[in-house]
Amino acid sequence: MDVIMECKNVNYQYPLTDTKQIENLNLTIERGKVYGVVGENGSGKTTLCAVLRGFAPSFYKGELTGEVLYDGKPLAEYGDEIATKIGFVFQNPFTQISGVKDTVFEEIAYGLENFGVPVEEIEQRVINVMKMTNVESLALKNPFLISGGQMQRVALASVIVLEPDVMIIDEPTSQLDPDGTESVFEIIKAMKEKKKTIILVEHKIDLIAEYADEVIVMKDAKVIACGPTKEILAKTELMQQGVNVPQAAILGQKLKEKGLDIEYIPVTEQDAVKVFENAGKAGK
Amino acid sequence: MDKSYLELVQVQKKNKIEGLYPTTKLWILLFFVIWIFILSTIKFTSIQLPLLNLVWIPVLLFMFYISGDFVKCIKACRVILTIAAIIFLAQAFIIPGDREVFRLAFLKVSDSGLKKGFELSTMVLSIAGAFVWVFQTTDNKEIGQALEESGVNYTVSYIFVSTLNMINVLSKNSQTIMNAQRARGVETQGNMIVRAKAFVPSFIPLVLSAITGAEERVLTLESRGFAVKCQKTRVLKLQKSGLEKPAMIVCVIITVLLIAGRVVLWM
Repeated sequence: MDVIMECKNVNYQYPLTDTKQIENLNLTIERGKVYGVVGENGSGKTTLCAVLRGFAPSFYKGELTGEVLYDGKPLAEYGDEIATKIGFVFQNPFTQISGVKDTVFEEIAYGLENFGVPVEEIEQRVINVMKMTNVESLALKNPFLISGGQMQRVALASVIVLEPDVMIIDEPTSQLDPDGTESVFEIIKAMKEKKKTIILVEHKIDLIAEYADEVIVMKDAKVIACGPTKEILAKTELMQQGVNVPQAAILGQKLKEKGLDIEYIPVTEQDAVKVFENAGKAGK
Repeated sequence: MDKSYLELVQVQKKNKIEGLYPTTKLWILLFFVIWIFILSTIKFTSIQLPLLNLVWIPVLLFMFYISGDFVKCIKACRVILTIAAIIFLAQAFIIPGDREVFRLAFLKVSDSGLKKGFELSTMVLSIAGAFVWVFQTTDNKEIGQALEESGVNYTVSYIFVSTLNMINVLSKNSQTIMNAQRARGVETQGNMIVRAKAFVPSFIPLVLSAITGAEERVLTLESRGFAVKCQKTRVLKLQKSGLEKPAMIVCVIITVLLIAGRVVLWM
């Protein structure tokens, strides 16, 4: 198992609050996998992201106990360099625009400028990322004057260009229309193909079922389930914990209860087609 | 594509005046303000009007013209003209004086009011006009980078540029909020009282959203290495037009002549 990040007995509490927002967190993140983080609102998903990136406690302050390790070393030891190791994308595309650049090209280049990367290298890296995220046609447009979906792609590009090994993406599609959502997930797919580690908070459970290798389920500041997507999301009893499960899993479960003998509970559309087809062929 | 992205994102200038280095333009602005103050001390007519304040208007128009941004600058000056007119009228009609110069029904303009109104409005017009020249012929990002290159901390330059850029963004947001409030039945159009009432429900969401957005923007900057201590590179290359030195020499000469002239007049 190639571990890239690890949380050992982590507890975190925001300043001026009485309750812990992360409680007894023990988590192992493997290199190259996509992790879907799900749970009802207020369950601690965003705080988990902030802890994994080091924003909590460095920015939010508060009290953190336990250890958050990146490549075996505590996050704090990396200092500002952590930005090249762990990328972070927020849900609001608008607030992720630096506000000091006139063009999408410059916006994406901004992070590299801050790290002192030579200009010629910046150009090449930005061009590559613009192609990957499909924003090349927007290169000379003002980042404030593009649509929300395009802005979110630019925000992703601005982080990807720094080539972090881990990407934490917090509800990237919550403010986007279906087209925007699809384009963001195309980027996540491309990142997955490049063997990047992705920690993705997302309410659209069908997309999690399709893209995530593992799922982390949170409730009341605790991780209540963690494991392979097909295993975790097939448990329809998660709905009682306020967690959505994919439509395919609900359908599979209901048909199973009606007596249909299926190999396993499907979690994606493709899985469902395969499972029901097999059941049909076997005349079950 | 003939040009590379690095070439395409550079700021294109129409001529050498518009292409003056941003800090040179800021120096010219400073000199200009000094000249305005020097000449405003010379008074004419029986009511001591600083008539030389009017000299700066054709000078500014000339600067707009030779920079190649005449129309753009004039458009930006329309608001200033309105403000200057309001200042003039308010001062002229409100300030009491010894002698009545003009009367319109119950409104009366005194010598002191006319003097103060003329002095203030022409100064506002000239100084604000000079600012318009600088900011209409220079991109915000150029000013920010010039500040950085002259040794100003990049955080200060970031605050400067982002604040200028945010003006447009916030005005767009305020429009969206106004539309939303209108849809909820808040009256936003009409007389001054109606508009004042609409101000609170429009202003509070604008400020709150700006504050909450600021936190995420800080973290975004953090994620992009804003705080990293190293020699930063910049894609934007600021070029000097070649007229910087002559422009500064001319400014210094004019300043010396004006000071000398003023001293002679005093004596």
